[in-house]
Amino acid sequence: MYQYSQADHQLLLERVTQFRDQVERRLKGDLSEEEFKNQRLRNGLYLQLHAYMLRVAVPYGLLSSEQMRTLAHIARRYDRGYGHFSTRQNIQYNWPKLEEVPEILDALAAVEMHAIQTSGNCIRNTTSDPLAGVARDEIADPRPYCELIRQWSTFHPEFNFLPRKFKIAVSGAIHDRAAVAVHDIGLRLVKNDAGELGLEVYVGGGLGRTPMIGKLVRDFLPVHDMLTYMEAILRVYNQLGRRDNLYKARIKILVHETGEEKFRELVEAEWENIKASKLRLRDEDIDAIRAHFKDPEYEDLADFDETFDQHLLTDTDFAKWVDNNLELHKKSGYRVVYLSLKSPDQPPGDVTADQMDSIADLADRYSLGQIRSTHRQNLVLSDVKLTDLYELWQELKNLGLATPNYNHLTDIIACPGMDYCSLATARSLPIAQALTDRFENYDYVNDLGDISLNISGCINACGHHHVANIGILGVNKKGIEVYQLTLGGSAREDAAIGKIIGPAFTADEIVGAVGTVLDVYLQNREDEEEDFLTTYRRIGQAPFKEQLYG
Amino acid sequence: MTYKIYTASLLKEGLVAYLSLRDGEAVWTTDFTNATSTEQVAEETLKLEADRGEQNNIIVGPYTVDVTSEDGRLVPLENRERIRAGGPTIKLPISGKTKQHTQAAA
Ligand code: HEM
Ligand code: SF4
Repeated sequence: MYQYSQADHQLLLERVTQFRDQVERRLKGDLSEEEFKNQRLRNGLYLQLHAYMLRVAVPYGLLSSEQMRTLAHIARRYDRGYGHFSTRQNIQYNWPKLEEVPEILDALAAVEMHAIQTSGNCIRNTTSDPLAGVARDEIADPRPYCELIRQWSTFHPEFNFLPRKFKIAVSGAIHDRAAVAVHDIGLRLVKNDAGELGLEVYVGGGLGRTPMIGKLVRDFLPVHDMLTYMEAILRVYNQLGRRDNLYKARIKILVHETGEEKFRELVEAEWENIKASKLRLRDEDIDAIRAHFKDPEYEDLADFDETFDQHLLTDTDFAKWVDNNLELHKKSGYRVVYLSLKSPDQPPGDVTADQMDSIADLADRYSLGQIRSTHRQNLVLSDVKLTDLYELWQELKNLGLATPNYNHLTDIIACPGMDYCSLATARSLPIAQALTDRFENYDYVNDLGDISLNISGCINACGHHHVANIGILGVNKKGIEVYQLTLGGSAREDAAIGKIIGPAFTADEIVGAVGTVLDVYLQNREDEEEDFLTTYRRIGQAPFKEQLYG
Repeated sequence: MTYKIYTASLLKEGLVAYLSLRDGEAVWTTDFTNATSTEQVAEETLKLEADRGEQNNIIVGPYTVDVTSEDGRLVPLENRERIRAGGPTIKLPISGKTKQHTQAAA
């Protein structure tokens, strides 16, 4: 993991001291709310429906067990005993008190964490593949590039007041687990015919009221040019992005209005001026950062264990979990384990302080002391030995973290919606819970196979409903919460924006409507191998529409 | 009949608060049922106290909420305000150890 330098530490402490002073001045009344709001939004602190909300950055989703224990401590001491992992791999606390936030930031700084770049119109915390460094389908580890972006973008004086927030994701694998296509800049590590490492650069993806898939602006950018090229993109955006209209301020609108070709020309022209500047990465710059992400000392293990196989035969619950919540590891004898934060007992993405502490202990015992958070609001233990899986599963089951539903119907992404969010037009969490209760049957859910269902509580689309196979958007219609259904979205390498299927459903109807959609899929799929999205793309909207409204 | 009450967020804690006038004295309470409505007091009086609360850095962002009387109790007309008054409507992931803290904080 990346270790802070002395300068990083110093910077962080100065920032906390600064914020403590601002909080004191606000409490005394020396700063007005208007003046203070700008300051708190630079430190991840929002004022929400019921309380303040603090968003803590988890750079590219990587946490040490020590950091996780600190998150647990904060939840217990300063909040109400839980936190919420977001789709951008961060964690949100729903109940901190303003007067205690400086103390929270102190506790975070002690373990090299903070809430910078989690709100406001800056370059936000970079997100990545939760399987970085261990995935079998990996071309190159994205984390060093994320870290280079973090160092370049944090406190970058030129990009402190962008027209709007700016989100970057980096993936280094064949399969996209970081929703690269719906970011302001999405980077995918690729190799050219000569075997050199470069980047596919996508610009102008995003969700919200105008959802867009990012446009491929460059199909091979040598990695050494990553920062100069991004700087060129951001300069173009900073100069030409719209500041007159909040809804048109994201770079996706600029790319759309300028046109892909013209936008590319503008970036390339800007790049000409800076491509040879000292921002250009040298081999030694990249190597120095890569050294922080070296493989841990893996043991040489067989990819087979008799006891494990025995358990698979005798314990069907274990077998179900192994089937759904494990991923192969690049090293023989190891597995990647998904900890499902989607159980019938708590809202999607929520974790209690006690669970966090236990997860930290499990990470120490079974997975080299590291935890990752995922874009789908789950956690990952990335380096578990095959021989430890049965024991680990028993522990996870006791903690309520072993629901065997990874990438299945009840692995729902849901934003906080009107239960917490002041911008919401409807609730999303009760719908997630109703769906989880209704589709509790493992065999049914398992038979549906790979499918995504996402819910947002307003058009800002924090719950990524646009890019779900089945998307649900809560809206307010004459004071009643109703839910719009979209079908056919995808957040992966075949990214697509779903299409609204027809008039919205009431809260009472929406669960049944999802059931109908699933029935149509099951009736129409060619065989069990054909997943929902493939069937949908083959048969189109009509059969679904007919059953839903016919 | 619909009436109005004043609500805001407490500056220090961030919690939802309601303006309550007791014997002419203004108190910001987190208990919705203690809110003073325009049934009892003129709206201008409430507004004056709300502005004062903001100026004195007790609360942030005061605004009025439409309420109606149901079985002798005030209820907000809008869903959003009902949720603000009652808290999240879902099962909260609170473990034994932390419940105490919540109660102490409430
Ligand atoms: C509760 C406080 C929150 C507020 C006030 C908030 C606000 C917003 C707003 C205004 C947008 C639209 C931005 C735009 O299109 O320009 C947005 C988008 C988004 N938010 Fe949130 N959000 C909140 C919580 C969350 C949570 C909990 C998550 C993760 C689960 C999240 C992740 C995202 C993502 C991924 C997007 C869409 C991507 C994009 O920016 O295009 N937000 N949010
Ligand atoms: S989608 Fe809307 S309701 Fe949900 S968290 Fe984002 S802003 Fe709030």
